[in-house]
Amino acid sequence: MLFAELIVKGLVYGCMYAMMAVGLTLVYGLLRILHIAHAGVFALGAYMAVTVTNATGSLAFGFVIAAAVSAVAGIAIYRLAYQPILHHSAFVPMVVSIGLFIVMQEGFRLIFGAYGIAFDDNPWYVAHVDLAGISLTYVEIAMVVMSVVLLVGFGLFAGLTRAGIGWRATVTDPQMATSFGVDPVRVRYLNFLFGSALAGIAGGLVGLLNNYVEPTMGGAVSYKALAIVVLGGLGSVRGTLIASLVLGVVESFGAIYLADIFDRDAIGFLFLIVVLMVRPQGLLGRR
Amino acid sequence: MSTLGRIDDLHISFGGVAAANGVSFSVERGELLALIGPNGAGKTTVLRMVAGILRPDRGRVFFDDHDVTALPAHARVRRGLGFTHQIVRPFYGFSTIENVMLAAGHDRTASPWRAIAGRSRTKARQKAQAFLDRFGLGAQAEQSPRTLPLGQRKRLEVARAIALEPKLLLLDEPLAGLSSVEALAVADLIRALPGQGVTIVLVEHNLSEVLRVADRLVVLDAGKVLAEGAPADVMARADVRQAYTGVL
Amino acid sequence: MSAYIASLVSVIGINLILALGLNIITGFCGQVSLGHAAFYGLGAYTAAYLAKLGAPLPLTLLAGTAMAGAIGIVVGLTSLRVRHDFLAVTTMGIGFVFLGFVRKQKWLGGELGISGIPGPGLDAVPYALLIAAFAMAVAALSLWIKLSWMGFTFDAVADDEDAARTVGVNVSTYKLTAFGIGTALAGTAGGLYVYFARIILPDTFDFVQSIAVLTMVVIGGTGSVWGVFASTIALTLLPEVSRAAADYRLLIFGAMLMLVMRFSPGGLAGLVHRRRPA
Repeated sequence: MLFAELIVKGLVYGCMYAMMAVGLTLVYGLLRILHIAHAGVFALGAYMAVTVTNATGSLAFGFVIAAAVSAVAGIAIYRLAYQPILHHSAFVPMVVSIGLFIVMQEGFRLIFGAYGIAFDDNPWYVAHVDLAGISLTYVEIAMVVMSVVLLVGFGLFAGLTRAGIGWRATVTDPQMATSFGVDPVRVRYLNFLFGSALAGIAGGLVGLLNNYVEPTMGGAVSYKALAIVVLGGLGSVRGTLIASLVLGVVESFGAIYLADIFDRDAIGFLFLIVVLMVRPQGLLGRR
Repeated sequence: MSTLGRIDDLHISFGGVAAANGVSFSVERGELLALIGPNGAGKTTVLRMVAGILRPDRGRVFFDDHDVTALPAHARVRRGLGFTHQIVRPFYGFSTIENVMLAAGHDRTASPWRAIAGRSRTKARQKAQAFLDRFGLGAQAEQSPRTLPLGQRKRLEVARAIALEPKLLLLDEPLAGLSSVEALAVADLIRALPGQGVTIVLVEHNLSEVLRVADRLVVLDAGKVLAEGAPADVMARADVRQAYTGVL
Repeated sequence: MSAYIASLVSVIGINLILALGLNIITGFCGQVSLGHAAFYGLGAYTAAYLAKLGAPLPLTLLAGTAMAGAIGIVVGLTSLRVRHDFLAVTTMGIGFVFLGFVRKQKWLGGELGISGIPGPGLDAVPYALLIAAFAMAVAALSLWIKLSWMGFTFDAVADDEDAARTVGVNVSTYKLTAFGIGTALAGTAGGLYVYFARIILPDTFDFVQSIAVLTMVVIGGTGSVWGVFASTIALTLLPEVSRAAADYRLLIFGAMLMLVMRFSPGGLAGLVHRRRPA
């Protein structure tokens, strides 16, 4: 049963990674920026979720606020940090993103304190159900359901609506899309709005999962999300989703079988490096 | 004359479409060979396989009595097989003369050991200035390639390749985008190269200039050699005319 | 020289070696690295381990340098395989793999690192001067490389790899050379740090450390030896200026990264020279 359990737990983590990585992929596909500050948005979502929920007693309200504040933060990041420097080589936005991430992380430390915050009332991270012998907490189930709902919703939006099609066109060929009347700037806003809201929700869920929110919590998750984006072939949403699940499962197995050699965070990157050595274009990327 | 370069049965396909389908020809020392053909005939593809930028699926490339098929582009350059890009690629961060200096100092850049051992750029600068003068760029030496008009950038591309002192130089559409006056001038510069010891393989669309400067033609059509020989003979052939115009 | 000044000089010297080493990789050759601290750590762990076994300082330092440089060349191999943006993530990953490895190694002390490292056999002041001498030598080496044909060729590789191949430059060899030199220097810095601190912890070599070194390079002016030299000294002294500067060190680093990239992507050196700082 261990085998099945590792796969399921890996997929749960994979779902959480997917929520983070999709936003990064969208930003990369559109702007060729390695959006490291996405980690900050993730932590922001977690802080919003925990503080608002603790203040109002409503978890749902906490998550709505988390998504909204993260979305606004994402748009502000694009407008204030990235837009003025888009004409520079990729190195410049990347460094800005690192700077922004550090500023956000330190900001959380100043505002919310260096030590973590827990949810006042969080029975869901211990309460669990048994599914065919595998025990899953409510938060883990929520993570899977949320990510599936949100990502499928996004897929429908991108595939079926006018705005979604314009969006995809912009990612594929910005100039062509512009000449067909798609406003590229609006697409970018939409992009940051959606990606950041997802990251914020993911942050809130991870906060629930660990019942703990701390300034540096965005770090490991979003570095791994970056690795996933690369694994997926940078800019490919489908590749990113698959890579998220694969990484989740690889980590879950690695954390057991490689426990004496590497810690959990190292396994994802080790996998990334091995894959890149064999397939430099990523798992699903084309050359 | 002796054979300097030879390709033997080169094949390559992209996504199932054959861009070169068994191309063989050779180039003799001291000649100016033009590789012509209609759009999509595979000229640039063949040139890039000779240069080592593309790997053929099948076939061999011989240069100066060696099989160089396995060598990467930079190693072929070191053996005297130079090339230029269709879309010019100067180092935009360098001045015009620095572009040529790096090529003129090719013995210095051959390995990191040699590169770190030397600092003096005086000799390379003198050589580079001479090359620039020869290509009519002497006055633009300190300018950024960004400020040069296309005609001068094309000259820079050729001057930089010549500064490597190649035995064989592959030129990919050096006249494309130039006015007829500029094209005439650049073609004259190219015409003079075989006399200076540089054998030329030229891919070029500007037929009137090609016919004026080439010693010999190889005509490609649909990834195959259709004809080769003296320009007047080749152009007189009906199949060549048909390949070009699509009519008899 | 007081003990306080000696320790300050030591830290500045070590940071200079780190930053100038990264500058060779990122500034000269144009290869992004977000994992420089891993090589610093490799050098430190190698030197510390050997020092505990009784090896003398010159040997441990050399071994740390060689270890970091050798692994650096292996990592450099990925730079030949992957696209530019991939490299940033891959080098970041190297940092996590390194940390994740040492944290789990009992023979390397695990989370607690290595302590009880023997002294360098020198007092604090002469040892600080030794570190300073190393830093000066690295600065001199950097300047030499920059002005030599190697620097010229690195510039070409950073500018346009395809064009560099056109002029017969073996791009792979030069990239590996840059990685080899830069990471070996980080290893040297690690070895010197070991005898200065006498205890090493895994967290000293984390992502934040990599970013701190990158900050020194970027703020000074990526590729400019003098710019990086000046900014490394300034940023190392910053926490000493006031209590507040020490508390908010990272916040200041982050804000500076953003502001410098926004208003002068060439860093301090870019403010002095408008184009291509020497």
